Amino acid sequence: MDPILIGEILAGLMFFGIIGFLLIGFPVAFTLAGVSLMFGAVGMALGVFDPSNFGALPNRYIGFMTSEVLVAVPLFIFMGVMLERSNIAEQLLLTMAKLFGNLRGGLGMSVIIVGAMLAASTGVVGATVVTMGLISLPAMLRAGYDPKLATGVICASGTLGQIIPPSTVLIFMGDMLSGINSQVQMAKGNFAPTPVSVGDLFAGALLPGFMLVGLYLLYTIFKAITDPASCPATPVPPEEKKDLLREVMVSLVPPMLLILSVLGSILGGIATPTEAASVGAVGAMILAALRWRLSFSILRQTTVTAATITSMVFIILLGASVFSIVFRLMGGDNLVHEFLTSLPGGALTAVAVVMLIMFVLGFILDTFEIIFIVIPITAPVLLALDVDPVWLGVIVGVNLQTSFLTPPFGFALFYLRGVAPDHLPTSAIYKGVIPFVFLQVIAISILFAFPQIVTWLPRLIAG
Amino acid sequence: MRALAFGVRAICGVNALIGHLFSWLSLGIVVVCFTVVVQRYVFATSFVWMQDLYVWLNGAMFTAVAGFALMRNDHVRVDIFYRPAKPETKAIVDLIGCVFFLMPFCAIVYIYSMPFVTRSWSFTEGSANVGGMPGLYILKSFIIAFVVLLALQGVAMIMRSIVVLGGRSDLLPASQRYENATNLPDDEGVA
Repeated sequence: MDPILIGEILAGLMFFGIIGFLLIGFPVAFTLAGVSLMFGAVGMALGVFDPSNFGALPNRYIGFMTSEVLVAVPLFIFMGVMLERSNIAEQLLLTMAKLFGNLRGGLGMSVIIVGAMLAASTGVVGATVVTMGLISLPAMLRAGYDPKLATGVICASGTLGQIIPPSTVLIFMGDMLSGINSQVQMAKGNFAPTPVSVGDLFAGALLPGFMLVGLYLLYTIFKAITDPASCPATPVPPEEKKDLLREVMVSLVPPMLLILSVLGSILGGIATPTEAASVGAVGAMILAALRWRLSFSILRQTTVTAATITSMVFIILLGASVFSIVFRLMGGDNLVHEFLTSLPGGALTAVAVVMLIMFVLGFILDTFEIIFIVIPITAPVLLALDVDPVWLGVIVGVNLQTSFLTPPFGFALFYLRGVAPDHLPTSAIYKGVIPFVFLQVIAISILFAFPQIVTWLPRLIAG
Repeated sequence: MRALAFGVRAICGVNALIGHLFSWLSLGIVVVCFTVVVQRYVFATSFVWMQDLYVWLNGAMFTAVAGFALMRNDHVRVDIFYRPAKPETKAIVDLIGCVFFLMPFCAIVYIYSMPFVTRSWSFTEGSANVGGMPGLYILKSFIIAFVVLLALQGVAMIMRSIVVLGGRSDLLPASQRYENATNLPDDEGVA
């Protein structure tokens, strides 16, 4: 048999083999690497893979270890964990809830807004949904909210971290897409391509992020009008009312200013994401210190949590590198290229197919695994078909967010189930999230129809 | 069984110590990077070695902490079937995973990185940036440290699986028992 064909068959089998092996439940990073090595060994025996290609691994690894852009990841994670561990996040939500409590649906809207603000925290779907679920689900149920609406709001706003800047997902995506884009442009003979940066991706994701938040808020208002019993007002007792202004100034304004200034300085081009993230992390520590919450114990918890989350994410990247080396050298990228370019309908169908694959992968894998596997093998083809890299990055984010919300496999639903009280039926979570899945589909359709929503702001900033 | 359980304890102790120690680098990254920002925007000066330093601290941190994260079960799993499984089933999954996935990965990275690292040592390689940090060979050595610590934790997981399958999970440290392996506070697991 033709060795090229053997390699391509092996590469295809490997992709599905990995998914199968992942289901047994061993940590993803090592399963990815281990299964790829097995297929590499088979490829070697059949003479279609040369193991000396692994010599590229240490170079790649040291590349990740010395990447200035990727340092933004531990810094933002540190900031998010600090805000959470020092109870600043919780206070923020409680104050916001009091502020809007007099309105029907006000508590739900507070959860959405705080979810959007805390989106920065980690970008790890599980962590954000668990935090939001622990803080806000009991409050909403106590207030007499319909469990369906409460769980839907939490899952949707807890997954905003995929897309709302400064999301760690966008940092990795920006880093990968910028490298791939310059290679693709070079190959096309464009030797001075417009670079794509993490900042561009942040700028591109901003309006779509606001659009999603707006859709969620509109839906909550719609529920408050058509079904008032589902989201009753939670009036603040008069004796607490006079303290409210002080509480707003203490609990709400400072973290809000911190997050806005971090984001503003990146979008305004004043600071790089990494620089802004370090200011954000120091700011979070100062806010904690002002509340006497910066104890040694909290600092230690924050460093350990931030370090292990960071390690976990980067190790997936290291494991996925083994996969992409084996996949590429067995001819997998050719296979992907032939498949994506042979589709009728050109670039748009190709993007839609890749999105569909990612959506399905989202049923079993978390964001980082998916983008580390799929982006390196598909983005070169898509960008060569003149797909806008910033638009691609943003649409991937919204698509994965949708996947995490879709029952019965959505990631966010599992995590919320884990922290929800036992008397709350799983069916309530499934039913609650369905309207939000529809909102996501609307958002994705809008982004496909009007890509300017993504590309307008980055171009405006670039001048 | 007792000897195996002791081995689990010893390895977890090593990784917990290293993990807790190197976790502080996350604070180090924040402090050094913030200092660079203040120098640049307030005092309009900058030192290239400091710009290298916070980037390298991240590289050292995420590699050194990986074994500790494995010990704490922080590496994400696809747990649709794993989470509800019996402890014995989990032990089998971890045993298979360590032997067929984790160990070969560590071995390959070790084999192909060793020449890369020794070459770097041979000329005490420094930063590629002018005025940057010396000692890139030390950072490169963290790739070796990474696989060694990870493989060590893999050995601990294999021994743990054997102990669990032998019905003596009572011998294991609390944080390493499958029944309560998750949701333990951060300071648990230090054997």
